Amino acid sequence: MLLKNIRNFNSSIYISSRHCFRPYSQGNVNEESYIEDEFRVLNLRKTKGKQRENAKKSKPPSVPPPRYQQMATDQDWSAVWPGPRSFHPATVPLPLRQGWVPLHKTTPGKFANAELMKIPNFLHLTPPAISKQCEALKKFCTPWPKILESEEQQEKHFPVKFISSDYVHGLPTIRNPLSRIVTIKLNLDNLQLDKHAKDKFLRLVGERYNEQTNELTIVTDRCPLKQQNYDYAMYLLTALYHESNITEEWENTKQEADMEYYDWHRNKSKVTSTEILNWRSTSDKKIDPPQGYINSVETLMNEGENDYNLNKYKEEVIKMLGLS
Amino acid sequence: MLLLKNILQLTKFSPTILIKNYSQYAPHYIDPIFKKQEQDNLIQSGEVSKIAFLPIKAARNNDTSSVFHDHRVSRMVNYIMKGGRKDLARKLMSETFERIKRIQIERYHKSKTDEERSKLILNPVQILHMAIENCRPVLMVTPIRRGGVKYQVPVPISEKSSYYRACKWLVEASREHDRKTHLPEKMAFELLDASNNTGRVVKRKQDLHRLCEANRAYAHYRWN
Amino acid sequence: MLLRRSSLIKSPFLRLFSATAAEPKMNLDDFRTIETNPTKHSKEHIGKYYQIDDTIRKKLFAHGGIPKKYEKQIKTFNESCLMVRPQAIEIIDFIKKTDFSKPTVRYVLYGERGAGKSMTLAHLAHYGYVNDFCLIHVPYAPDWYKRPKECGLSTIHEGMIDIPLECASWLIHFKLQNIDLLTKIDAKTSKTYDWSKREQTPAGSTLIELVDHGINRAKYAADVIAALIDEIKIASTAGKFKTMVLIDGFNSFFYEKTRVSVDKKARRWPVTPDKVTITQPFINITNYDWCNGVCILTVDIIGMLGWDRESNLPRYLLGKEGFEHLDPFVPIKMENYDDLQFNSCISYYVNRRWIQNTEKGFDQELKFMSNSNPYKLMELCNAL
Repeated sequence: MLLKNIRNFNSSIYISSRHCFRPYSQGNVNEESYIEDEFRVLNLRKTKGKQRENAKKSKPPSVPPPRYQQMATDQDWSAVWPGPRSFHPATVPLPLRQGWVPLHKTTPGKFANAELMKIPNFLHLTPPAISKQCEALKKFCTPWPKILESEEQQEKHFPVKFISSDYVHGLPTIRNPLSRIVTIKLNLDNLQLDKHAKDKFLRLVGERYNEQTNELTIVTDRCPLKQQNYDYAMYLLTALYHESNITEEWENTKQEADMEYYDWHRNKSKVTSTEILNWRSTSDKKIDPPQGYINSVETLMNEGENDYNLNKYKEEVIKMLGLS
Repeated sequence: MLLLKNILQLTKFSPTILIKNYSQYAPHYIDPIFKKQEQDNLIQSGEVSKIAFLPIKAARNNDTSSVFHDHRVSRMVNYIMKGGRKDLARKLMSETFERIKRIQIERYHKSKTDEERSKLILNPVQILHMAIENCRPVLMVTPIRRGGVKYQVPVPISEKSSYYRACKWLVEASREHDRKTHLPEKMAFELLDASNNTGRVVKRKQDLHRLCEANRAYAHYRWN
Repeated sequence: MLLRRSSLIKSPFLRLFSATAAEPKMNLDDFRTIETNPTKHSKEHIGKYYQIDDTIRKKLFAHGGIPKKYEKQIKTFNESCLMVRPQAIEIIDFIKKTDFSKPTVRYVLYGERGAGKSMTLAHLAHYGYVNDFCLIHVPYAPDWYKRPKECGLSTIHEGMIDIPLECASWLIHFKLQNIDLLTKIDAKTSKTYDWSKREQTPAGSTLIELVDHGINRAKYAADVIAALIDEIKIASTAGKFKTMVLIDGFNSFFYEKTRVSVDKKARRWPVTPDKVTITQPFINITNYDWCNGVCILTVDIIGMLGWDRESNLPRYLLGKEGFEHLDPFVPIKMENYDDLQFNSCISYYVNRRWIQNTEKGFDQELKFMSNSNPYKLMELCNAL
């Protein structure tokens, strides 16, 4: 009885402060059952805690482990992924992660990741796969012409560059409207235009000419098909070339304001400086302004003025007028 | 117990200052020393080591180390300023100085003897200083209610406040004219007058002093 | 009178000039030169101030020529001094070397705002006056097109606009500057000018009579200017006297618009300078087809009306037309002060009591703030 009482006492304390008295209660096997006997728990809510615990958990369906775990490291990947296909997490042996998350969270892994499935992948176009396909196609090809090895030679023999785009997309029609656009590029030196023709050509093409690269760019997109647009671009190029080589009658009436650059010999500057130099001279032989002066005026007008050009001009004028 | 002691110690050393307006700086921040001369003085006297590790407030953008910077002038510019248009205020101030200088240099050239010339003050900043000194009141009156009656009681004012009042009076006097005269023109005359201990602002100060003198019987209302 | 009361305030300010110092002696200061004749100015005078005699100044610049701000300084400083700038010396050297039997050489002064173009022009006007040049001096041409006092349709030239008051006042200016020379030399009109049925200036009358007619009858002033300039051209080509043309803001003659308009409705279609009667004579005199003369012109960015001011350089300011009219001209750049000129300017201001605060390093600060630009420096010193 005494022992029982002591135990009783022990266990009541045990509930309140378990840590302190644990050493004493160790070794007693039946302790738990004692507690159950003496202190029944009042279950107000009538929950069936015990029953729940005992209820059988439903087993997950038996799924085989993902395929990538069984893949050999030296396998033939092009056999695993032979053609275009949307992403499959179990097949791709890469630790991929994709997706936006708030700060300091980890990005989602590859399983059940819709973002990875949405984007197009090029897993079927690995370099070995491509080289394999090229090998297979090789027997249908002719060798690359030796004369076109270097880029200069390509440029020389095929001066017109033709640029267009093809599209793959998910519509019932296979024709993307953007694929009709055709761009042709051409270095202007290839046309071999003379001075007049080049000036006219540049005026005709306007902003399509790039001064830095000396390149003409024509973009055609007004016809519905690529071929039509290509034909049109070629027509344009031909028409431009021939038109610029023609000199119309009205072109002879070109004024000073139409000039593309400042030419001293056509300007008032020539008249003025010659007259100043020949002021009150009786001889028939006229003194011409020095070449240095002519050059300085031309650079001043063509390059625009800056301190250097103005200084040069000043020096030349002083020399010419005999002020030095 | 030890903890309590620590807390007590902490409270003992942290200053309990009543902060009127919230400052963006903690109270232990010191004012910037932006003038080269003052910095040199600090370095020479060795006091710089005392403030070497103290945090310093950022200098305001009118605090410059320029040779021409003058505290009184920059305060005066602020009093002239309306609606935050400081560039205009500075322009007006510099125009005032220009006018003062022109008037004084003209007098300088007109005066015949060297003695007269030596007595002339040409420096406009010095004239501004003198004018402000001459306009500073010593006392002012404050309304105090005793037995349902308001008495104008004379009280002494602080140095800072007296400077403020002098500047404010000078600016007010310069504004108080017909619209055709511009502020710099009027202000130049007011400053010259005040530096000569004459003029409207000095009279205003004297009037105030006279009022204080007349009301000295109420002076004890300050305390009871 | 302001008195110094040491008892009242302790002066913290440095007093540079002792009370006993007399008016500074002219030849002692190294920023001054006693050489008042601009003919004798040479490279050793660069950066030094020389004094213009007051009578000459009143004669030359009574109707403008010295910028208004500097006029104010002259009044305050109680003397009229100009700094000898290297560009002025350069032009004077050129003029000395010029062969006057050849066509007129045109000099164009250009440079940033406040660099001293107008002051250099004033210096050269003085040079011309001393050397008995006939001065054709336009103090500031943009004034005619920017703020004309009165404009009306010309009665004589159809489709042109006249600014009679400006024309007449320029004639007064011309007469005042050249009265000495014109009385000395017998320059007669070469042909008869008929102004109206009753008024005419017969051939052989003096140029002063011609000018007087323009002054009295402002209606004909523009035509009188044209006639006068023709006569001067003829006379100086004949070698009777030399002529110096000084035009400040020459680019305004070639700017695309003016504020001249007959009625306010027409303001939408701006009048070009060539539609104003006063323009043609001055374009005529700057042409190269005469000799025994020299043209000194300035191009000025504030001569332009709008806000499309991009560059200070002459080709931009003159436009193609103006450039071709002047070409070949000698462009001369007005630079800001160099160290020598800057120091000289500062010591002049200190000497004239214009700078009162001379704490250590004040000149360095001023140099930095003004970038040695003469006008900016003057503005900055106003408040010191």
